[in-house]
Amino acid sequence: MRYRTQSIAYPYFVIALLLFALQVIVGLWLAVQYFVTIPQAFVNIFPFSTARALHTNLLVLWLLLGFMGATYYLVPDETGTDIAWPKLAYAQLVLLVLTGVAAMVGFIFGWTQGKPLLEIPTPLDFLVVIGALMFLANVGITMIRARRWTAIQGSLLGGLVFLAVMYLFGMPFYRNLAEDWYYWWWVIHLWVEGAWELIAAALTAFILIQMTGVDRKVVEKWLYVELGLFLFTGIAGTGHHYYWLGAPKYWLWVGGFFSALEPLPILLMVVDAFRDIRDRATTIHPRLTWIYLIGMVVLHLIGAGLFGFAHTLPQINYYTHGSQVTVSHGHLSFYGAYVLLNLTFFYFAIPRIRGFSNGDYDQKTGKLAFGLATSGMIGMGLAFGAAGILQTYLERILGQPYMIAQQPIRFWMAVVAVHGLMMVAGTILIVKHLLTLKPAVMEPRKKMAEMIPAVE
Amino acid sequence: MSNSTAKLIFWIGTLISLALFLMLTIDTSRRFAALTHADKLDDQVVRGKRAFEKRNCNDCHTILGFGSYFAPDLTRTYVRIGEYAIIRRLQQPEVAFAADFRKMPQQHLAEKEISDIVVYLQWVSNIENHDWPPQDSQTRWKNSTDRLLAAAALSPGAALIQQENCLACHTLGSRGDSKGPRLEWIGTRRNSAWISDYLADPQKLAPGSLMPDYARLAPGQRQMMGEFIVAAGRGR
Repeated sequence: MRYRTQSIAYPYFVIALLLFALQVIVGLWLAVQYFVTIPQAFVNIFPFSTARALHTNLLVLWLLLGFMGATYYLVPDETGTDIAWPKLAYAQLVLLVLTGVAAMVGFIFGWTQGKPLLEIPTPLDFLVVIGALMFLANVGITMIRARRWTAIQGSLLGGLVFLAVMYLFGMPFYRNLAEDWYYWWWVIHLWVEGAWELIAAALTAFILIQMTGVDRKVVEKWLYVELGLFLFTGIAGTGHHYYWLGAPKYWLWVGGFFSALEPLPILLMVVDAFRDIRDRATTIHPRLTWIYLIGMVVLHLIGAGLFGFAHTLPQINYYTHGSQVTVSHGHLSFYGAYVLLNLTFFYFAIPRIRGFSNGDYDQKTGKLAFGLATSGMIGMGLAFGAAGILQTYLERILGQPYMIAQQPIRFWMAVVAVHGLMMVAGTILIVKHLLTLKPAVMEPRKKMAEMIPAVE
Repeated sequence: MSNSTAKLIFWIGTLISLALFLMLTIDTSRRFAALTHADKLDDQVVRGKRAFEKRNCNDCHTILGFGSYFAPDLTRTYVRIGEYAIIRRLQQPEVAFAADFRKMPQQHLAEKEISDIVVYLQWVSNIENHDWPPQDSQTRWKNSTDRLLAAAALSPGAALIQQENCLACHTLGSRGDSKGPRLEWIGTRRNSAWISDYLADPQKLAPGSLMPDYARLAPGQRQMMGEFIVAAGRGR
């Protein structure tokens, strides 16, 4: 850590991690409800819908807090200055966390806007907007004052502004349901396949430059190409959500064509990462951070790229739309693209914020935690996929009524829950490991000179 | 590749996609009115939408395929199970799903809220969305039932359904009304013995149902009606 204000990131990371643990625990409860009959009296008080609102909103909240923390860590390094208003950054965190807590408690008591993923009621939406403005102003001013523009800063700031602007489209009440979903996707799709990809590309490029020591010019050149492809395929690719909502037929062509190309930028990102690793000027170190980085780019490609591609063509999507196939893709892509991105960044930044020499740390339980969470998530993704294919066949092709088709799916949801348990265990270990990170224990053969404890 | 070529790729790619997307958005917003029958989108439909959102229905159900996947899709629910069945599920979910392995919460809806939601679901069922979802595809229902009716002109079950005027409330193929569930849908869920028992005393198997009883028919006649309905369900 070269700048004092980079430590603003730390409380953001801590809260993000705690919310992450809560999110997966609620997720496990969701899976259980698919195969166990919950008594009516309990359902009346705490229905599936409430738990689902908690699960998805906690996800969005912790990922965004992680991105914000990462931004506060990255910007000083990139601009060569401290964050302009550190106190504002802490105030922003307090505001957003209080808003988040109010929203979660509100859900439990039935205070909701009733739109999936965007359940936060309008009054709280305004607080979120204020928090976002505080954030953008702080980051923007820091960058503008420094006047040392880099492609990474541009991509990051562009992504953050894009993210904030799109949020506004989810706030109004739409009379027409078709129109409602049309603009709902401006938030959901243009976030995950637009704005968030810009942020992800910037954070990944930053970590690669810092850790491999490869030439910035090379990384930034390919960053432009990646971003160009992300936005070219991603913006018009929104059309793959417009097939069956009452929009004109040309969306089947536009959505099908552009989204078929969507895996390309992710593939390029993977190729770039492996090229940078091959051409590295430093050693692969610490190993766990690398495992995360490679796990992220590979699962990003599989979860978002391949699983997304599998049911994006209208001929297939006609049958799979709105089934557990979507759930499979959703889980693998969020984990691969954004959960692992955040965790990679945490593993990169936390040792540096804590002042460990060379960013090194004791990796022991970290590897086990990564293995548990990742294999749990892959198992869940595959079991959701099996459930989805079964559902598609029974319900959409054979024409069985929904609840009859759900009966055999209960088995696969139990498989999901078993893997969900692994995911929960892995997550709790990850959170514990990151929050109690210790400096690396030096191997005896290393020189005495390296053993000088890092103090900052 | 030089740095400036890379920048050029970025700007060209982004702007082409953005321009296309915005143009199509303008065109789509112009055509939504016709495709969704916005002329029928009155204040009661909007009240229904608000009630639907207030109760967070969409975090268990999908509608137009979006939302959560824990409960049936509601896009064509109005034509699939009809008005009375929707009302019954909203009024007394604990009775309607007493035998099911998944429950729906009792939300104590007011009468007015229920009728608003029914009107809302009726409006949604008419959105022209390229005949999605496939399980409720109007063309599939119609074709399969037409084939069956053509082959079963002399079926005593079919004749009894005509005679008892079932289609005054239920839909079969492309005919009938949406007060009760579609007959083919019943046929995919139940067997003929169940239907026969139900015809004799609907209240016994579905308390609160608005279905009149047909106890005056002979058990054999009720059985034949049941067999016909099951065959219609299998015909798809």
